[in-house]
Amino acid sequence: MSAALMEQRPPQALNRAIQGDADSFSRLIEPLLDPAYRLAAVMLGDRTAAEDAVQEGSIKAWRKLKQLRGDASSVRPWFLSIVANECRMARRTRWWSVLKLPEVREPDQERRESYTDLRRAMLRLSPEERLPLVLHFYLDLPLDEVARTLGVSTAAAKSRVYRAAKRLRTDLTMEEVF
Amino acid sequence: MSPNDDFRRELNHVFDDISGSPDPGLRDRVRSAVAEAPVERSTYWIAAVAACLITALIVGILYVNNPFRRTGIAGPVLTPTPTSSPTSQPSPSPSPSAQPVICSADTVQPLSHVHPWTAYISDLRAAKHDAYDRLVIDFANGVPATGVELIPQKGTSFDGAPSGQPTTTRGTNGIKVIIRGADLHTSYSGSRDLVTGFPRLAEVRQIEDFEGVVQLALGVNGPACYRAFYLTGPDRLVIDITAAP
Repeated sequence: MSAALMEQRPPQALNRAIQGDADSFSRLIEPLLDPAYRLAAVMLGDRTAAEDAVQEGSIKAWRKLKQLRGDASSVRPWFLSIVANECRMARRTRWWSVLKLPEVREPDQERRESYTDLRRAMLRLSPEERLPLVLHFYLDLPLDEVARTLGVSTAAAKSRVYRAAKRLRTDLTMEEVF
Repeated sequence: MSPNDDFRRELNHVFDDISGSPDPGLRDRVRSAVAEAPVERSTYWIAAVAACLITALIVGILYVNNPFRRTGIAGPVLTPTPTSSPTSQPSPSPSPSAQPVICSADTVQPLSHVHPWTAYISDLRAAKHDAYDRLVIDFANGVPATGVELIPQKGTSFDGAPSGQPTTTRGTNGIKVIIRGADLHTSYSGSRDLVTGFPRLAEVRQIEDFEGVVQLALGVNGPACYRAFYLTGPDRLVIDITAAP
């Protein structure tokens, strides 16, 4: 996944969506559905629940579109933060949320030992710890956008990414992470 | 390949493993859900409704309490007494005729709806007027939340609290003033026994200042009749000792 795939949405589509055009809104968030799903899937550890979270997040985003502050470049962090909130709510309200993680399939036998260790360490992280890692490493968001999605300062976002990465591999240095 | 690239690549494999790919139908599912979802009502509309409700509530509270009926704005200015030294200029006193004179027990309810945990009495002031003698109880930080009880009695013997020791004041009758949620020691440093020498209000003596309850014994010459009300600016309770109605 690369940042280039998530290009800026044209401001015209945003304006039409804000004026109530559902079709324009759907086109606006269409490129964001895949990263939103991946974020939700990693946070929840359940693919069906992740799709539900993306759908619910999309509806909430549509209903609250007039509350969006900033230009078209703000849509992606805003939408991802809504989906992340949906994931938090799903975990709070559904009893199975803590039981789903072991259902993720086991890695192939030929995968390296270090990979297996990394995966186990990842599954031990809480969803809140996984979130900055997904945003920064998986979705390739720049730190300032990670910060906007998390609702924190850039320095705090950098700290959260590094802290979560250190929990995966204790010998990581700041230079190796960023 | 740098350690960063190694770490990132392995991490992305883990993420891929966990998430997989979204269902191809997710896009249509979301599009359909958005098309069917109603747009949220404007926040301005909600704010307007809320403002109307709040206005109606405030008008209702004012109508029920009607503070303008309970406190007048014209009347004689208080005369400072030798035993007190008010620190702020009080607002004009109400007309003596604004409140009924009664000779039975009554409770003066506070007008404000915001009260301190403990109201600090900051001054006790007594003054003589033509038709009545006045006791003013100043509060430093707002008036008590509960009503102040005034209990007239025959004779001038009061039970001191919490000791129960009897206390006798000057005069022929008495009025016990019970102020709950208040104290007479945080902001007050004046006398706790004011002997006025006035024709109606002869003496004001503290008989309790314990665990948030203040009791004052008023020694009165003649019938123990009074009118009592709150005033603001500064917050104060006014008790006029006057002839029977």
